[in-house]
Amino acid sequence: MKRVLLGVSVVVLTVLLAVAAGCGGKDSSSGKPAGKAAPVVIGVPTALGAIEGGDSLRAVQLAVEEINAKGGVSVKGEKRPLEVVSIDTREHEPGIPVTEALAAVEKLIAEKKPSAIVVGAFRSEVLLSSMELVAKHKVPYITTIAMTPESQKRIKEDYNKYKYVFRLCLNAPYLVNYLSKTMEFIGKEYKFNRAYIVVQDVLWAKGTGAGLEKWLKANGWEVIGMDTYPTGASDFSSSLTKAKAGKAQVIVPIFDMPQSGILLKQAKSMKVPALMAGFISPAVPGTAWKTFEGEVEGLVNLFFEIGPMPVKAVPKSVQFYEGYSRKYGQEMASKLSGHGPGPSYDAVYLLAGAIEKAGSLEPDALVEAIKATDMEGVIGRIKFTDDHQVVYGTNPKETATGVVFQWKSPGVRVPVFPEAVAEGKIELPSYMR
Amino acid sequence: MEFMSVIVFGLVNSTILALTAMGFSLTFGLSGVANFAHGGLYLFSGYVSWMLLNYLGLPFALATLLAVVVAALAGALIYRLVIMPVRGIVLSEVIATFAVGVAILELFRWLGFVTYEFNLKPFIKGSVEIAGVAVDYQRIIIIGIGMLMAAVLWYFTHKTRIGLALRGMSQDEYTALSVGIESDWAATLSLALGGVLAAVAALAILPLGIISINIGYEVLLIALAVTVLGGLESTAGLVAGAFVLGYSMTLTSTLLGPQWMEVVYLVAIVLVLAVKPSGLLGRSKELEERV
Repeated sequence: MKRVLLGVSVVVLTVLLAVAAGCGGKDSSSGKPAGKAAPVVIGVPTALGAIEGGDSLRAVQLAVEEINAKGGVSVKGEKRPLEVVSIDTREHEPGIPVTEALAAVEKLIAEKKPSAIVVGAFRSEVLLSSMELVAKHKVPYITTIAMTPESQKRIKEDYNKYKYVFRLCLNAPYLVNYLSKTMEFIGKEYKFNRAYIVVQDVLWAKGTGAGLEKWLKANGWEVIGMDTYPTGASDFSSSLTKAKAGKAQVIVPIFDMPQSGILLKQAKSMKVPALMAGFISPAVPGTAWKTFEGEVEGLVNLFFEIGPMPVKAVPKSVQFYEGYSRKYGQEMASKLSGHGPGPSYDAVYLLAGAIEKAGSLEPDALVEAIKATDMEGVIGRIKFTDDHQVVYGTNPKETATGVVFQWKSPGVRVPVFPEAVAEGKIELPSYMR
Repeated sequence: MEFMSVIVFGLVNSTILALTAMGFSLTFGLSGVANFAHGGLYLFSGYVSWMLLNYLGLPFALATLLAVVVAALAGALIYRLVIMPVRGIVLSEVIATFAVGVAILELFRWLGFVTYEFNLKPFIKGSVEIAGVAVDYQRIIIIGIGMLMAAVLWYFTHKTRIGLALRGMSQDEYTALSVGIESDWAATLSLALGGVLAAVAALAILPLGIISINIGYEVLLIALAVTVLGGLESTAGLVAGAFVLGYSMTLTSTLLGPQWMEVVYLVAIVLVLAVKPSGLLGRSKELEERV
C-alpha cells in the first residue's frame, strides 16, 4: 500500500511541479501567418502576469492582426507578415531576481531571433540589465513600460552601444512633471500645502517620489513624510497613521503592484481626511469603482499614456479602444491598465513604418528609421529625443500626452489635466467637504 | 497618537502573526511534521472561498464553512498521499511538503489568479476609534478570532480525549501505539486541523488586503519565524513569539519605515537559531543547549 501511495504522490507532485515550473519563462507565439513569405518576428519579453504586461501584449497582438490583415509589411519589395513571440519574465513578482528575467529575455532572443523587441522590461532594474543583452545582440528594443531615466543617461554616454533602446512611454521625470502640475493646481485651488508620499520599493517609483518631494519642498509644501513599501505589501496603516497625525491634506501614492488598491480602503476605514493624488495602478481601470466598492471616489490618478480610455481629442485612441473592445470584448477593454497598452500598440505601427522606410531588417538601419519617426499615434504625436525618449507634453497634437483624471461619483473617470484633454476639474471628495 | 497607534496596531499585528502561525505550530506540536505546505493551504483556502462566492454565488457563511472543510480535507490528503510514504524521514517530509506548497501556489499563478480582483470582503465594513486611533472592524474581529482559536486549541489539546491522544503521540509514539493510538490516524488528524487553522487565519486576515501568490510564501516565513522565536511545540511560546515579533515589526515600521518590516522576522530567525535554538519558551532542545 505504501508503495502505491508513494507512486501516486510522486506522480501528483511531478505533475504539479511541472505545471509550476511551466509558469516561469513560458513562451508562445501568435499572429503566425499561413502565407509563404517568412514572417518578421517581433519579441515581447515582459511580465505577462502583471496587468500592464498582459494588456500590452494584447495591444501588440491587435496591431499585428490589423497590419497582417492589410498584407503585412513591405521589406525590399516583398510583403511579409508580422509574428509575435512572447515570454513571461515574471519580473513584477516579489522575489524574482533580475537574473531570472534576463534569462527569459536571452532565451527569447536566442531561440526566436526577433527582428525587434517591443514592450520589453516591466521593471526598470530589468531594463537596465537588458540593455547589455540588447547591445550584444543588436536588437532594436522599444520599451513601453519601464520608466527609469537612467537608460537615457546610458544612451547619451555610449550611443553606439545602447542606441538600440527606445522608450515610447512616460519616464519618471515626465511623471514628476505631471504630478507636480497636479499638486500645483490642488495647492492653488484648495490652499493645501501638507503632503505625505508613499511609494513602492522599486526604482521608478522611488525616483518619482524623490523628484516630487524635491519639487514640493521647493514650492512651499511641507512633506510630512515619505515611506517606501516593499512590493507585495498590503498593510499601509503606519503611513496612514503618520499622515493623519501630521494633518496631511494630500497623500501621494506611487505604486504599480496589485496590493496598492488596498491603500484606498485602509485610508477610508482609518478615516484619514486627505485627498489621494498620485498613481495607483489597480485603481486605473474602468472596473476599479466596482472592484473597490466606490472607495476610489476622489482619487486623482493617472493614465501614463492615452489609450486605456478613449480621449475625444485623440481620434486614434478612440479607434484603438474600439478595436480592442471588438477583439477582446468590452469587459477586457474596460479593464485596460493605465500604463503600457497605448504605446505598445503604437510601437508595432512605428516599427512597421520603420521597417518599410529602412527597406530592411538590418538593426542599424532600423534604429535610424525609428529615430526619425514622426507619427500620430494613440498616445499623441510621436517623436524621439536624442536619447531615444518619446517627447511628452500637454498637447497630444504636438507630443505624447499623459492624462490626469479623477474618480467621481457615480463611478466615472473624468480627465482633469492637461487642458487639451480635460473634461472637468479636480474636486474634493465627499469625505473632505 | 503615534504611541497609541503602535500599541493598537501592534496588538493587531501580533494577533495576525499568531493566527497565521497557529496551524503550522499545531501540526508540528501534535505530529512532529513541519508542514511546509502551510502557506499553500492558507492561500488555497482564500481562493476556494473566493471561487465559491464569485463563481457559484454561495452565501458568505456557507462559502466560508466549505472553504474550511476543503482545507481540512486538503491537509489530510497531503498527509495520506505525500507525507505518509516518507514518514519519519524528516528531510523528505520537509522537501515533500514544501514541494506541495509551491505546487499549490504556482498552480494558482498559472491559472491567472494574480490580479487585484481576487479579494475577500470584510465581515463588517467600517471602523471604530480606540484611544483616538481608528481601527476597522475586521482587525477587531481578527483579535477576537485569534483569542477564541487560542482558547479552543488549548481546551482541545488539554481537555479532550482526542487532543490528549494526539499530544501523547507527539510525546512518545511507541508508548502511544502500545495503548492503542494509531500513529497515521493521529498525524492525518493533525494535518487536517492544521488545514482548518490555516483556513480560519486566511479567511479572517485576507480581507485586509488582496489574495496574492506571494502571501503564500510570506505566510510560511512568518509561521517559521514565530514558531522558531517562541519555541516549537509550545503554545505559550507561539503567543510570546507573535507578540515580540508583532510589536517589533510595528515599531520598526513606525520608526524606520515600512520597508524594514520584513527584515525583522528574518533577522529574528537567524538570531534565535544562533543564540537560543529552543526559542523563548521551547523545551525540546533546552537540555542539549545546556550540555
